[in-house]
Amino acid sequence: MSLRFDRRTFLRLLGASGAGLFLGLGAKQATDPEGMASLRVRLGWLLRGQWLQHTGRPSRVALAECASYDSGLLDCLRELWSQAAMPEVRGRRVLVKPNLIDAIEGYPITTAPAVLGAVVDLLRELGAAEVVVGDGPGFRRDARPVVSECGLAQVLGARNVPFVDLNYDEPRPVPAPAGWFGPTRELWLPRHLREADLIVSLPKLKTHHWAGVSLSLKNLYGLLPGARYGWPKNVLHVNGVTSSILGMYQAARSLAPVVSVVDGITGMEGDGPLFGSPMAHGLLAAGSEPVAVDAVCAGLMGFSLHEVDHLEVAAAAGVGQATRIEVVGASIDRLRRNYKRPPRAE
Amino acid sequence: MIEQAVSYLEVTQNGDGGWGYFGGQQSAVEPTSAAVIGLAAASRDRLAREAAMDWLLSAQNADGGWGLTMGDGDSGWQTAWALLALDGYGLAAAVVERGRNWLLAADFLHFQETDVGQDKDPVLGIDLKLNGWPWQPGQATWVEPTALALLALRHPPTGAQPRLNEAVAYLLDRRCQGGGWNVGNPYMFGAALPARAQPTALALVALTHSLVEAITTSDLETLHRESHHEGTAWATALSALALRALDEDVTEEQASLRALQGGDGGWEGSPYATGLALLALSGEL
Repeated sequence: MSLRFDRRTFLRLLGASGAGLFLGLGAKQATDPEGMASLRVRLGWLLRGQWLQHTGRPSRVALAECASYDSGLLDCLRELWSQAAMPEVRGRRVLVKPNLIDAIEGYPITTAPAVLGAVVDLLRELGAAEVVVGDGPGFRRDARPVVSECGLAQVLGARNVPFVDLNYDEPRPVPAPAGWFGPTRELWLPRHLREADLIVSLPKLKTHHWAGVSLSLKNLYGLLPGARYGWPKNVLHVNGVTSSILGMYQAARSLAPVVSVVDGITGMEGDGPLFGSPMAHGLLAAGSEPVAVDAVCAGLMGFSLHEVDHLEVAAAAGVGQATRIEVVGASIDRLRRNYKRPPRAE
Repeated sequence: MIEQAVSYLEVTQNGDGGWGYFGGQQSAVEPTSAAVIGLAAASRDRLAREAAMDWLLSAQNADGGWGLTMGDGDSGWQTAWALLALDGYGLAAAVVERGRNWLLAADFLHFQETDVGQDKDPVLGIDLKLNGWPWQPGQATWVEPTALALLALRHPPTGAQPRLNEAVAYLLDRRCQGGGWNVGNPYMFGAALPARAQPTALALVALTHSLVEAITTSDLETLHRESHHEGTAWATALSALALRALDEDVTEEQASLRALQGGDGGWEGSPYATGLALLALSGEL
């Protein structure tokens, strides 16, 4: 059967409404067994969201001021890791997931190689059994040119760290988180994700024309393997950006804990995620709860929670802690900026 | 050089008859098909090819299409690769026909006629009335699966021509500013996204067989520039295939491939890249 959408809906499929996740409770859900199951799942989200917002334990997010990529990154990250009370690393296989969506000369699109190198150094210092860097770029059939063009190849080579193109990393099916991918029961995900003991989402801090902001949650789009789903990861757009961002996060954390380190030393404002302008922000952020980290970083970019669908829905559905957050480290006031908003489709 | 490449494919062939994208990986439809096509072009290793053909035949889904690998029941863009590999394999005629039927029927995301309008979409800069093929049914359509489908359906059954014609128009509409193609997003909010080597090469091969006069000098310049810039065997092999299809000189690309061949006879540790390189050195897609 054909799927029919108007143009506006198509654009919203590329940047879907989070509210629809909740407003979609209708007569169908009340009359068929699958609908009832869906209703129960969604009511469960709402209860968990209320509980987290009012009585849940606060999440901790650590901030650091770091003016440049040139020096002191490892010291800075070591301090952040400690302040944020990150999980144990010793003996664990760690997948580090930078944002390598594409490389276009002159635009700060990707996670800075210097930050990634320092994160790898820190993880090894903390006793990680294995550190692998991987991403599945959404716009490039072959990740290697992106790795070279953004300067990452040199950093990885100097440290003898393997890079895995997650688009071709022996995808296998795992259960899809209930309620976030419609009728889809399983997601095919890459081997190094399935086998990881810890996932470090390491995004570039930037604006995004469909999602509002692209931080550690949106960064997880790159875990979906193109070899099965194609380039770009259109299945996620068709499913709805908000539900896909939160669904991918829950799929990943069902396999291993996901923590965040955000590269906001140079951020991107305006027409992100590709053609925005650099913003000298001087921010590094870390935390063991990506929803909390992203909520804090979005705030530091000048976005309210209500401007970012997936963070608003994450709060309402109790996907993570988006409201009760303990911020430690550098002064939040010194790190506040007002990023130029991305163009949005009506 | 060819013999070494064939040996590499023999060594990396999985026990089930297929190949993975990289040596030691699970068999998948795209690399297996590329290896089969490369071996066929080089007229080598009939037995390895037949084992791979058997794997491809076994991997076909009940609906006639192919997914990522054996056991992936969601048929998708990989169907075109399997058809390209199986085409001409006499015993598989019925299999090919079912595959072609699946591909021709593969549905995509539709837009309401009242909303697509007469002009190009203001945000995406494309004509939403035109469609090619999606990576998976139900999604929007994109350049690479469209080009592959056009190649796999070069000898279309009766009634298929309108969809193929639209797919050609789709490719022309999605051309990037300055020539060439990327995934299928030439513009976003007024910004021009750059063309890339792989989709440009595949679109050019597809257009060579369907509307060669639509190919411009800018497309070829873009292909040269991007494949040189990437410098990988994969991009170079696809570039050579596109240029050869257009009767252009491929001496430089073939020399690059020779220089990039690994000591094990393969390219980039990848049966997929090796299959493409073998094809680029020996034949046509």
